[in-house]
Amino acid sequence: MTGHEVLVEAENLEKRFRRYHAVRGVSFRCYAGEVFGLLGPNGAGKTTTIRMLTTVLRPTAGVARIAGHDVVQEPGAVRRLIGVLPENAGIYGRLTARDVIRYAGRLYGVPPDLLRSRLASIADALELTAHLDRLTDTFSKGMKQKVNIARALIHNPPVVFLDEPTSGLDVISARSVRDFIERFKQEGRCVIMSTHVMEEAERLCDRVAIVAGGRIRAEGRLADLQAWTGLGLEEIFVQLVEQTVA
Amino acid sequence: MIGSALSWLRARGRGGNAEAAQEVRRWILAVYAKETLEVVRDRRTLLVMIVLPALLMPVVILGISYLAQRQQHQIQTVVPRVAVVGQAPALIHLAYATKLIAPVRAKDPTAALRQRQVLAVVELPKNFEAIVARNGQVHVGILYDATDSESAAARGKVVDLLSRYSQEIVAARLAARHINPRDLLPVVLDQRNVATQRQQSGQLLASLLPFLLAMWAVVGGMSVAVDLAAGEKERGTLESLLITPPSREAIVLGKFLSVVTASMGGVIVVLIAMMVSLRWGYPYMLHTTQKVNISLPIGTAVVMLGVALLFSALVSAIQLAISIYARSPREAQQYITPLYFVTVLPGLAVQFVSDWARSPWAYLTPVLNAFFSFQELLLGTVNWGHLFLAAVSCAFYAALALEAAIALMSRETVIFRV
Repeated sequence: MTGHEVLVEAENLEKRFRRYHAVRGVSFRCYAGEVFGLLGPNGAGKTTTIRMLTTVLRPTAGVARIAGHDVVQEPGAVRRLIGVLPENAGIYGRLTARDVIRYAGRLYGVPPDLLRSRLASIADALELTAHLDRLTDTFSKGMKQKVNIARALIHNPPVVFLDEPTSGLDVISARSVRDFIERFKQEGRCVIMSTHVMEEAERLCDRVAIVAGGRIRAEGRLADLQAWTGLGLEEIFVQLVEQTVA
Repeated sequence: MIGSALSWLRARGRGGNAEAAQEVRRWILAVYAKETLEVVRDRRTLLVMIVLPALLMPVVILGISYLAQRQQHQIQTVVPRVAVVGQAPALIHLAYATKLIAPVRAKDPTAALRQRQVLAVVELPKNFEAIVARNGQVHVGILYDATDSESAAARGKVVDLLSRYSQEIVAARLAARHINPRDLLPVVLDQRNVATQRQQSGQLLASLLPFLLAMWAVVGGMSVAVDLAAGEKERGTLESLLITPPSREAIVLGKFLSVVTASMGGVIVVLIAMMVSLRWGYPYMLHTTQKVNISLPIGTAVVMLGVALLFSALVSAIQLAISIYARSPREAQQYITPLYFVTVLPGLAVQFVSDWARSPWAYLTPVLNAFFSFQELLLGTVNWGHLFLAAVSCAFYAALALEAAIALMSRETVIFRV
């Protein structure tokens, strides 16, 4: 079930890179305790939208707010409220998992005692405890992704952005990450994730927005979209993307 | 260093209250601690920063000096074979007596010289001794190869031999006329060097140290600067860092301090390795005609490290700005290499433009200001006005470069360049 507290708002967000119009008037809202999926093919504008919401890119036009804080006017306040797992996020290979998570905690200003206890509980939840003192260079891709998730959550953010969180992971690691996303939802966080894996969206997302050509082509609860079109999510997705290309 | 960085931040109008300043300080320290931990765990960086200068300095300073002295010693002690054309028994006798040259006969003396069978040729005119006996003047030719250092040295010995022979003839002719040779030398030179031991060792240090310090200020921080920005871009960790609360200024300052630490690490290792090599290795390996006591007073060393720190801050800030701008570590390395030459070549040039050292402009010119300051400190001719100008201008240029690095870190088009 989703809560009523609006944590993420995007209103007519636009982004241009010189002549390239990457995002064209994207609007949506996300609530506490909800997983919102941004679905779209490569180059649809999902990552650019997430980067604007996470203060890394400045919107060319439009407004975005995280828990009421404007991403352009109050980027510092926004960054304290969000945890982000960027697409293809790298990791500091010469640091141990503990060093990486602790570094993130310090940057977020988590007090030392709290940092210690949170690190222990997150590592336990992600089954990382036995590997905390190993250099991350020796980790598999799935393990690295877990460390990055731990790093993104160390300050206990109410809003979590996950850009293609299971991309390139093996089946076991991908399942582990999906389980963790379901946990975020149960903990009342607002999760915005981008993906192009339909089963993942069907399993995890309460609502989805199908993005193509920098625009939202359809948005709503999965059940509503399927009832409206009489199609499965994958068919809806393919038809909308093909219409955009045409 | 961190305190001054914070003051600088405050001066830019950020962190107006104590709490904000403390937060910025915490961010800078967190970034600095993490970057430095990564540097310490990187074997390549430690190799360049510590092992290489520690091994290279004794080789450069002692090895090259030793080889040069060895060659000089050989040239001085070896008696060169010299072809003598013509008859002069007295001259040949003097050559054997003095052991300056080994006279030999050659069918084709010029060919023998070209084939290095002899190192010089002496061409005596016909009736050499008869002309000398008649109080006449003779012209003696010397052939040698100026491109061959041993041949050039042999020429010197031939000149020395002929000079002694000539002096003997002059003495005999004067004696025949009842003239005291001293009457022809009304002025006798008595030359004394008033330079102190400190100045002489300073001269030796001034010819080497500024160049080596500048070189390692650049090299010591180079791989760290490349790794901290362009490396983060390539590994995909930069975006995660930019999403965290620290301002771009705090992130850049933390990284900058880490590059400066690596750069100064290299400088300090070079300084120690050089002083140890010169003080204990120099007298052991090299035979000096006078005792050379190489030492650097502690006060001078501290001021030198201060100047080196400012110079290091300048090159570190430039390297970091370049690394932030570059798409990849490879591109950053390509951009930084010319910087290496720009900063190190003036080190070689300063000894040829010593007249510039009198002009205040030399102390306001980036890079040159540090070199001239090093020279003054090592030669013991410190002008505090010059040092002040050099310090202020170095700090100013470093701040400009740092400002550029922060501006680049704040540009989307630079951060997401592909």
